[in-house]
Amino acid sequence: MATRSMFLRILWKLLGASRGRLAVALVALTSGAAVSSALLNVNLDAERKLTQEFRTLGANVVVAPPSTGSDAALTGAGVMDSIAGLQSPRIVAAAPYLYVAANSGTQPVILAGTWFDQVAKMNSWWKVDGNWITSQDSHLQCIVGRDAARQLNLLPGSSIELRSGEHTVSLMVAGIVTTGGAEDSQIFTDLDIAQNLAGLSGRVTLVQLSVSGTPPEIEDVTKRLAGALPGLDVRPVRQIAAAEGIILGRIRGLIFWTIMLILALSMLGVLASMAALAMDRSRDVGLMKAMGGSVQRIMRLFLVEAGALGALGGTIGFLVGVVLARWMGGRVFGVAISPRPVVFPVTIILTVAVALVGALPLRLLGRVRPAEILRGE
Amino acid sequence: MAPLVQVEHLEKRFGEVRALDRVSFDVDSGEWIAIMGPSGSGKTTLINILGGLEHPTAGRVAVDGMEIANLGERELTRYRSDKIGFVFQQFHLVPYLSAVENVMLAQYFHSITDEEEAAESLRRVGLGDRLDHVPAQLSGGEQQRVAIARALINHPKLILADEPTGNLDEANEVVILNLLRDLHDSGHTILVVTHSQVIGNMADRRVELEHGRLARISTPSVAKE
Repeated sequence: MATRSMFLRILWKLLGASRGRLAVALVALTSGAAVSSALLNVNLDAERKLTQEFRTLGANVVVAPPSTGSDAALTGAGVMDSIAGLQSPRIVAAAPYLYVAANSGTQPVILAGTWFDQVAKMNSWWKVDGNWITSQDSHLQCIVGRDAARQLNLLPGSSIELRSGEHTVSLMVAGIVTTGGAEDSQIFTDLDIAQNLAGLSGRVTLVQLSVSGTPPEIEDVTKRLAGALPGLDVRPVRQIAAAEGIILGRIRGLIFWTIMLILALSMLGVLASMAALAMDRSRDVGLMKAMGGSVQRIMRLFLVEAGALGALGGTIGFLVGVVLARWMGGRVFGVAISPRPVVFPVTIILTVAVALVGALPLRLLGRVRPAEILRGE
Repeated sequence: MAPLVQVEHLEKRFGEVRALDRVSFDVDSGEWIAIMGPSGSGKTTLINILGGLEHPTAGRVAVDGMEIANLGERELTRYRSDKIGFVFQQFHLVPYLSAVENVMLAQYFHSITDEEEAAESLRRVGLGDRLDHVPAQLSGGEQQRVAIARALINHPKLILADEPTGNLDEANEVVILNLLRDLHDSGHTILVVTHSQVIGNMADRRVELEHGRLARISTPSVAKE
């Protein structure tokens, strides 16, 4: 106990005696820890925020009948109930689609019956002139793709009569949608209307899903969906999933290497300061060795000192990093980044490691030959 | 009874320079030996080898029955901690530790610390009112007294002092000499490197070196080749 108390006493005096040089090392450690902590917080939150934002860019999983090109529509109620039954928080939206070949006068058109609220959730970037249909029960209204509207001379507020076989329906155009894709030549209406028009009550062609998360998480949901929907193909939209994965991977890589670079710079600062400190302490180490101090015992003092410095720098750096992350989050994502508890121990471990590596010049003091030092060489 | 220190044909070379050349002598327990000679005669090298701070090139050194010439670094560390008390000309106190902490540092490296015992050792050298002073707040004589208290705290078999009064004024020199005499009177074995004839005359024997060789061993009154 007395020995431990003496150890702490010497440590305390060491810290006080070298406070100038240690302050420089502390500044280097705190700076490194602050930026690392901020970037780690940004990284964790960025992934969440980006995957949320990706989910407004369209479906990334499709449920369809197994034979591609089949005209057979799948049973709607069962599919949607099974998807809802999974209760996965990762499923941001699930939009059933029934595609019906119809005519407007003599012009053939593709009618897509769907749930507008779900489509809006996963395609918030679609540009709409006029109004979007927000209620799932907005019968007798439709959204017309830009090309189809041009072909049929339709504007928001226009009426259109659609016919499929024996059935007809008259709809009012709520808005004109521009997506840049196949949707531009389609007419969107409520699923029930399309089913009634086609005489396919309760049936859908496919279901588009927007699943949030990293590629492995999306893959996991896909597997669970496949298990819940036997006999149907559950396919991730590879291009979107891959693109999301690449973007997330690149952001992670960028942040990782930036943190490594910052920590390396921080370590250089610590190294410079510790090298000067080692020069100051060589006489003390020579004396301690002459008095019978073992290298291990003397080095333990210096390493604990460096570790304590790292822990202090890491703690201050973490707190500064939280503020920095909020500021960066505001700049990049428009919202504050919330600090993650897991970043604290990671920051401390990284900073202590940097401090211990940076204390290399002090470790080299173990090689000091007391006779030379005490002679004044 | 075997001598406390046995030095036989001791050699130390630094490259081409022969700092010690076949030096042999013994020291009995409780003796006060003055090691004398001109600068560069090998006095400090001899005391460094006896203190386990340097390895000899050849020859034999035994202290308290322990052959130290071929000890490894770890064993030498233990040897210094257990058997040797150093007093240096430059005092060599740790500047950021107080007087009592400097003494406790030697305890710390030896075994366990006892602040009261450290304080008592400082009181014995007349520094009872300077326990919490750092070296910069002490005079040269006071610093050397702290160094002596530190050297004695682990009850070493051998006290090695290298020019202990070399940096002191006359008044402080007297204080330190009196302390060394008290230590000798109480049975300590002391080897002092010195240029001072005063110290040489106080010692039981003088070991005189010239160009690394043993020139003579003498007593203050009777010289013997």
